[in-house]
Amino acid sequence: MEAGNGLLDEYVLACTGVEHPKVCFLPSASGDADHYIVRFYRAFSPSRCEPSHVSLFRRDKGAGLGCDLAEHLLDQDLIYVGGGSVVSLMGVWRAHGVDEVLRECWRRGVVLCGLSAGSLCWFSESVTAFHGPPQRVAGLGLLPYSNCVHYDGEPARRESYHRFLSEGMAPGYAAGDGTALHFRGESLAHVVSSRAKASAFWVEEAGDGLLEEALPVRWLGASRRLSVA
Amino acid sequence: MGGGGFTAEPHNPALDDFILSLARAREPRILFLPTASGDPNGQIAAFRSTFGERACHARHLSLFRLEQDPHDLRALILSQDVIYVGGGSMRNLLAIWREHGLDAIMREAWESGVLLAGLSAGGMCWFAHGITRSTGRPEPAPALGFLPGSLSVHYDGDPIRRPAFLDAIARGAIPDGYGADDGVGLLFEDSELVRVVASRPGTHAYRVQRQTVDGAQTVLETQLEPELLAAAASVRSRDVPDDIREFRAERYGAAARRR
Repeated sequence: MEAGNGLLDEYVLACTGVEHPKVCFLPSASGDADHYIVRFYRAFSPSRCEPSHVSLFRRDKGAGLGCDLAEHLLDQDLIYVGGGSVVSLMGVWRAHGVDEVLRECWRRGVVLCGLSAGSLCWFSESVTAFHGPPQRVAGLGLLPYSNCVHYDGEPARRESYHRFLSEGMAPGYAAGDGTALHFRGESLAHVVSSRAKASAFWVEEAGDGLLEEALPVRWLGASRRLSVA
Repeated sequence: MGGGGFTAEPHNPALDDFILSLARAREPRILFLPTASGDPNGQIAAFRSTFGERACHARHLSLFRLEQDPHDLRALILSQDVIYVGGGSMRNLLAIWREHGLDAIMREAWESGVLLAGLSAGGMCWFAHGITRSTGRPEPAPALGFLPGSLSVHYDGDPIRRPAFLDAIARGAIPDGYGADDGVGLLFEDSELVRVVASRPGTHAYRVQRQTVDGAQTVLETQLEPELLAAAASVRSRDVPDDIREFRAERYGAAARRR
C-alpha cells in the first residue's frame, strides 16, 4: 500500500495463484484507523480482487461481515495485516481468538502478509520501537525466527536488534523499507522489493560477533524497464 | 457512566463537569484514554474541544501512537487527578491495557486516589464484570474488578443488552450489579455507591440482584432515582476563572491566553 507504488501489492496478490483472490485487511495494529481502511480499498480495488476488512474494534456493528469471523478469515486467499503497534495487535488478536484462527489459516494455505507490525507478528520474536525505546515482543511464531523491520531507516532499532541477538534472541531476518521476505512454509523463498535500493539481511549471533549476511533482493520494478528501439 | 459525556452527548457537558468537580485540585489534570475505540482522532478532538475550555489540564494518551509521542506510562497516569476512559470495545480495551501493563498501573492510580471515570466500555472496565458487545452480541465478560459486582451500560439505549445482563445474573454467570441508562453516572467511593447522577431527565440506574422465587432463579431489579445535574449552571461555574487565565498567560505565554 505504498503511495504510487503498487509493486508489492501486485506481488502478494500474485502469490495467491488465484485470478480474483479474496483479500481481507486486518487494521487492528492501527486501532482500525479509518484512513488506513480507505487506503486498503484504494490499493486492493474490486477490479483485481474481492476485498474486505475486519474491524475488531467495531464488532458490535457487525465488523462489516455477514458471517462468522473465523469462517470469513478461513475463506480468504490472502490476509493483509496493517502496521501500527504490534503490542496492541497481539493483545487484541488474542482477546478475539484471531491468533488461533490465523494459525489455522496458515495451515490451510491462506497467504499471510503485512508490513511493519503486520510483518513482526508472524515471527516468534521481534523488535518493536513503536512504544519508545526498542523492546522485544513475542509474535505468533509461525516463522521460527526473529524479525526486525525499518532496518535501513532507524539506527537505534538496528543497534537494539543486535543487542537482543547477543542476549539470546533467535536469529532472524531484518528488512529495510520496501523489502518483502517471502516464505514458503518456514523457508525463505524470495526476497523482493518495491524500490530499486532495498536491503534484507540474515542476522545471527555467531559466537565471536554478529553475522549480518546481506540477502540478494530482486527489485520488482526491474522487469518493467521496457525499451522501444 | 451508562453512556454520556462529550463523546455521547456533545452538547450536554453535565457529566463531564460533574467528573471535574469531583477532583480535589482547582485545575485538575485529566487524561483521556480512547483505547477502546482504537484512539480515533474524532474522540480526541471532541475531548480537546470540551475540556480545553475548562479549568483543567487536559491531555490524552494514544497507545496506538506512542511512536510519535512516547511516555513513561506509569509516571503519566500516576500524575493525574482524573483518568477518563472512552467507550468502544471493552475486550480490546482490556487486552491492550494488559499488554502495556496498564491494568496494574490503573489499580495503583486508583489506590493512590486518582479518580477513575469513563463511559460505556470505559465505565464497565472498573467492575468485576460487564456486558460487552465486543464480539457482536452482548455477553458477560470479566473486567478489572476494582469495583465488585457487575455493570451493564446503555440500559435504556440498547434493547438487547439488558436482557443479556438479567439472564447472566439469573444464571449466576456474573455477580449482582448495576444497570445504567445513557446519561446516568454512578459514583463510588472505594467500593461503595455514594451517588447516582444524570445529565438528562427520565433516566435511571438499577440495582440488579439474583434471587430465588419458588425455587426458580430470577432477578430483582430495583430502580434508583438519580440526581439530575444542572448542566447550564455547572458550565458557568466550571469555566476557566479569571485568575487561572491570568496565571496561564504568565506561565505559558500568549499561546495559553488564546485558549
